[in-house]
Amino acid sequence: MSADILVAFPSEYKYLNLVDLVCNEIIDGMGFQHEAANEIAISVIEACTNALEHGNKCCPEENVHVIFSMQPDRLVVEIQDHGEGFDFKDYLKHIPDPTNIHKQRGRGIFIMKRMMDALIFEMLPDGGMKVKLEKMLSKNGN
Amino acid sequence: MILDLHGKLMGGPDADNIRDLLHGIIDGGSKKIIVNLGGVNWINSTGVGILMTGYTTMRRNGGDLKLLNVSDRLQSILYVTKLNLIFECFDDEAEAVESFFRE
Repeated sequence: MSADILVAFPSEYKYLNLVDLVCNEIIDGMGFQHEAANEIAISVIEACTNALEHGNKCCPEENVHVIFSMQPDRLVVEIQDHGEGFDFKDYLKHIPDPTNIHKQRGRGIFIMKRMMDALIFEMLPDGGMKVKLEKMLSKNGN
Repeated sequence: MILDLHGKLMGGPDADNIRDLLHGIIDGGSKKIIVNLGGVNWINSTGVGILMTGYTTMRRNGGDLKLLNVSDRLQSILYVTKLNLIFECFDDEAEAVESFFRE
């Protein structure tokens, strides 16, 4: 048995606050511990930022869709945009070194991969990209 | 010099604004900067990249950049990216200022 919460927001930074509020409520309700809760919130915002920036090119007419799926043993969050996507298979093989201090960007996917139990990219058949994040409850001693 | 940042640090025009601000500070003769993040309620990996660029800019100009009032979330990002080994972070302003005189 799972319960889903859907959030759709225009591709503007100001709406990330709303996603964060919803995310925190869900995390608290599921009983994730502090560190895991931080990791989920950081990863969801990273994925939403990528979706609105790189996917929807900050076009306010294009929505980012976020689905929080609360399952008995895990939280699954899907973030969808309407962009062209990118070659994630190649990217994941060659994730940039996040400790390269001269880089201003390129740490987001590395952070999500490290903080979540699963990170899955998927090109959608009708266009757009979906990022799926998973965090298990059992790994947090719950 | 203590630089108090407020609001969101998430990319977009923020990167250019902070770079210009730091160059202005260097041009003004200051080379030791403490960035107070106490008023920053939002930061993501791009924001961390902006701080990193600021750090690199200061170091290249013979200066240094340290962080004050780092949130839990930022600490998590710094730890995962190992940038905690680069940035000196403080919870106390006086201690941060003092650290420059100990060097």
